[in-house]
Amino acid sequence: MSMKDMNPTNDTVLSVSDLVVRFESGGRQSKKKIVRAVDGVSFEIVRGEIVALVGESGCGKSTIAMAVMRLIKPTSGQIISDGLDLATIHGRALQRARRRIQMIFQDPFGSLDPRQTVMEAVSEPLTIHKVGNSAGERKELVFEALRMAQLNPPERLSENFPHELSGGQRQRVAIASAMVLSPALVVADEPVSMLDVSARAGILRLMMDLRDRLGVSYLFITHDLATAWVVADRIAVVYLGRIVETGPSEVLVKNPAHPYTQALLNASQDGDTTISAAASVLKGEAPSAAAVPTGCRFHPRCPKYVELGKPESCRSEDPRLRVIKKGEIARRDHSAACHFTDEVK
Amino acid sequence: MSVLRISDLTIDYRLGQGSVRAVDHVSLEIEAGEAVGIVGESGCGKTTLGLSVPLLLPANASVSDGHIVLNGESLIGRSEEEMNHLRWKSVAFVFQGAMNALNPVHRIDKQILEAIQTHEPETSKDDAYARVLELIELVGISPSRAKSYPHEFSGGMRQRAMIAMSLACRPSLLIADEPTTALDVISQAQILALLGELRSQENLSLVMISHDLSAIKKVCDRIVVMYAGVIVESGPTDTVLRRKNGVVTAAHPYTRALMGAHPDLSGERILAPGLAGNPPDLSKPITGCRFAARCPEVMEICRTQTPPTVTITPGHSVTCHLSVRSAS
Repeated sequence: MSMKDMNPTNDTVLSVSDLVVRFESGGRQSKKKIVRAVDGVSFEIVRGEIVALVGESGCGKSTIAMAVMRLIKPTSGQIISDGLDLATIHGRALQRARRRIQMIFQDPFGSLDPRQTVMEAVSEPLTIHKVGNSAGERKELVFEALRMAQLNPPERLSENFPHELSGGQRQRVAIASAMVLSPALVVADEPVSMLDVSARAGILRLMMDLRDRLGVSYLFITHDLATAWVVADRIAVVYLGRIVETGPSEVLVKNPAHPYTQALLNASQDGDTTISAAASVLKGEAPSAAAVPTGCRFHPRCPKYVELGKPESCRSEDPRLRVIKKGEIARRDHSAACHFTDEVK
Repeated sequence: MSVLRISDLTIDYRLGQGSVRAVDHVSLEIEAGEAVGIVGESGCGKTTLGLSVPLLLPANASVSDGHIVLNGESLIGRSEEEMNHLRWKSVAFVFQGAMNALNPVHRIDKQILEAIQTHEPETSKDDAYARVLELIELVGISPSRAKSYPHEFSGGMRQRAMIAMSLACRPSLLIADEPTTALDVISQAQILALLGELRSQENLSLVMISHDLSAIKKVCDRIVVMYAGVIVESGPTDTVLRRKNGVVTAAHPYTRALMGAHPDLSGERILAPGLAGNPPDLSKPITGCRFAARCPEVMEICRTQTPPTVTITPGHSVTCHLSVRSAS
């Protein structure tokens, strides 16, 4: 059984509240636009928990990940981890805090330096954070991380260069260098989407094993609802910089409440759906985050809005995330941001 | 009548001292208006097979055996000039990562116009431009966006523009290599729906190369599963990819492993074990079944004897010792 069920209380690894990230688009002063990439997002992750952020490209899910890693500075909001607000600290304090949060990127072909051996790549975080008293000790830590990532035998594999490894093995190296510092949280941005289908399950299984054995938590970023459903304890569906629905994975997938989640599910079903089901999918593109629609940001594409005769409230009132079904603890509530959630089955 | 008939096609790549047999005696037939999906892992030969039809193989590849017959005409051995007449008009190709294949410094309409004018110099400019707008509308882009540059389009729209361009000279066969791989789920579903519509509207035959079984299931009538340069299973998509209440009709263990690799939202919430290891090294001869080293159901005979191809039900055939056993 996973850690989440054992520790319902004060074990928060990450608590994000009212996170806002705005970018100013380029161009002449008069033409400058404000892009609201992340527009008021709150969520938390406890020890040993896997939380997935799911959404289309451009919805802001990767920007949330980058803000959590402090690769970009949020415009406002709090990112609390280990009693510190990552949104405001800098310098030494930020570097120390980063040790607890590591990242795995999408592209294992691009994220590894082609001229570094596996040993060099995985030991670099140890050098940066001055972990281990001697070269021998650091080498042992690297071997242990490689064994953890099932790269056996570590003695031989540590001497390989990235081009000598398969895509799945490279991603295992990326996992080993994330795990070598024993982080509390790993942010994984589409960790399997560049891999061959046959290699994907192995990487996901490894991530879940490490959670079970070490109690590490994950913020798992993906556009694939089916994978999120299998891997994550909880899912947050992101649309145009906002969480529009969140809940335990099984609840959210079996009883999706927000019309956007339902559309995503339709697009991802592969059971007996054929072309007709695929064709009923949302028309058009998500609007630009530089021109967020008024009222509910999903209304211009929402099938429910049309079905209900284009109610005024969808155009004028911004729906807040509200609880549809209470979970056994608050964190596991099922919530959605839709004016007509109750009518939605 | 079949649009495309490939028989015993064998393609080798010269690499340093040796060579790699990427496609090994593959036979495949595509009927008019039919959509066929080719699946398999990277390196199994599916892209090589696709590229062989318009004869767009890299310089170090050579066709060592077999025939390709397109609309009744044999293609192997044709000159580059003769092929240029057939490409775009008879067979068009949408490349993998096609979104990045557009020229960034030209407007979309101009790029499509160029394709028409190059291959049909007899068409007047006005007629050609009218077709450009028609094509843009056909793929679901508003003609008012025709004068956009590629960077002003999203990934999904760029892929639509590439499909519009591939249809510029009204080909009878479209080969699409991983047309939805770099797109998110909503754009994927839109592109797949578009391909399905084009097929019926334009009476297009379609070969879709993908590692995504659900994409193939949504568009194709027939599926061909390739492993290590050979076809291991082929049949109607509905039959091969059926997965109802845990009952799988796919006959080859490799097909079943591919099906298990992606979680099924209507099934059980579990992560399948996946498939360990990598496809075999094709520069060396292989004895027995090519999949034996990774097969969860491997038997003694698999390591020594090449499995025969058996027909399980009409149109559904498989190359596996297990099926021989259950048939007899």
